[in-house]
Amino acid sequence: MTATLDRIVHPDINYSAETGHRKSGLGVGLVALMIAMVVAGLGIYAASLVGSAGDEETLGQVLAVAFGLNTTALVLLKTGIAVVLIGILVRIWIRVESVKASLPALRADVEVGTIRTGDVDTDFGPATVSAKAPTRLPIHRMANTMWGPMLVMGVMAVFTGLVVSWVWAGNIGTSTGLGAAAWTQGLQFLGEGFVLASISFLLASILSGLREGGGEVQEALGLPVKTLKMPPTAKTFVALMMMGLMIEIAQFGLYIYITTFDDLARYTLWSSWLGPFRELGLGLLLAGIVLALATIAKALGFQFSRIRDIVATGT
Amino acid sequence: MTTATYDFDTQTSVKALDVNVPQRAGRTLWAPAFAMSLVGFAAGMILAIVKASAVADGDAVLAASLNNYGIAAMFFGFTMVFTGISFAIARILGEFRVGGGRTQEAAGSEVKTLTMPVTARAFIGLMAMAMMILMAAVVAHVVVGAQVNAETLSLVDAERWDIWLEAARRFAVSLYLFSITLGLATIIYVIRFQSIRIREIADAT
Repeated sequence: MTATLDRIVHPDINYSAETGHRKSGLGVGLVALMIAMVVAGLGIYAASLVGSAGDEETLGQVLAVAFGLNTTALVLLKTGIAVVLIGILVRIWIRVESVKASLPALRADVEVGTIRTGDVDTDFGPATVSAKAPTRLPIHRMANTMWGPMLVMGVMAVFTGLVVSWVWAGNIGTSTGLGAAAWTQGLQFLGEGFVLASISFLLASILSGLREGGGEVQEALGLPVKTLKMPPTAKTFVALMMMGLMIEIAQFGLYIYITTFDDLARYTLWSSWLGPFRELGLGLLLAGIVLALATIAKALGFQFSRIRDIVATGT
Repeated sequence: MTTATYDFDTQTSVKALDVNVPQRAGRTLWAPAFAMSLVGFAAGMILAIVKASAVADGDAVLAASLNNYGIAAMFFGFTMVFTGISFAIARILGEFRVGGGRTQEAAGSEVKTLTMPVTARAFIGLMAMAMMILMAAVVAHVVVGAQVNAETLSLVDAERWDIWLEAARRFAVSLYLFSITLGLATIIYVIRFQSIRIREIADAT
């Protein structure tokens, strides 16, 4: 599977060609935005039914359908983001090839001499100097393997939840309806968690690509390979992602658990905090994504600085 | 001077350009937005636990009021986390702009910098719209919560407001995610330009 995913991010195309990820990702996002507009319309209609005697069942049905559709729209938008991130990953590797091909002509012609390995401080934080390009860290290996399965499982869970939301809508006010409501929420937020985890893994794969690619370029030129050490933002990103994902798995289990309740008051009580709990999980995953992006910015700053050094000084 | 090279609209200068205003904001503000998002999520979860206690006590007015405060806190967190993501993307675009320019300058070449593409403009515009809708919804939830608590708004009217505001929040989150897609799509565009540009400079030497 890793080999298949590697082939997706290393396609054999010309460096100047468009890869199509940008258009595909934005296309998926536009479709999702249209679904979101329908959901907004359903919300306005549902609000008009509040307090109207005899419309309680219709209100419940509209809210159930809107919930299922809204989460589906959100996960489609995140899928669009994932497609664009795959495009960035593809472009990172094409960029590596371009830099590798260009730097020999651009760098100052000087003797490199003996390479001194070890730790050094840079403007971007601690780095290591080695003679060879660094190998993938375990977290990078995991990220490069897991983004695909996470994306597929997430989308499947959300679409299954969408189907269950129709069962919920068709059984308002019954125990079957309550059970379907719990299953819909649990499944769809588990799916959202998986898709956000996939996005996190793609961001980690981009970081892995920057690290490996940067090393490959320096090694190909016979230069000391300077690699930035994992910054605190990257470590916190991993912690937040794991916490968020665990909360989403836990909320799914808890939603299944409340389907066993016979007592409506107990079901309502648990539902009152499970909603914010599942949102907390998504929030932590998103907070991790902020840190991953900040780490990418730092890694890019370091790489550009290194490329400038090579061009200006030859080493 | 604005020129079009390899289908890209660029501006040419002797020295590398610095970050533009949105990128400067991105560099400065991503971290505060990140910190505020964590505060929002924590407050939202604490209010949800207090609300659950009001539900257990059968106090419908307090539960409805706390529900609105809790949603306001949680969605303040979401607004900030999406803002943090957007600013971090702007920061990445800033690194490409400055780093790409300085590399060209170091190579002794004229410096070509991309003019802001349509996707980047749409990214900023949609992000601002989404942020304003979400913040308006957060404020409205606080007002509804206060009115329910003061019993100047009935529980039925509060429910109607909840559903309206939920519709607005949902749409704003979708808009935010789409704007983020546009921001990331801009990164693809920038890397493609830079991959071509560095070969162009090497070929000219």
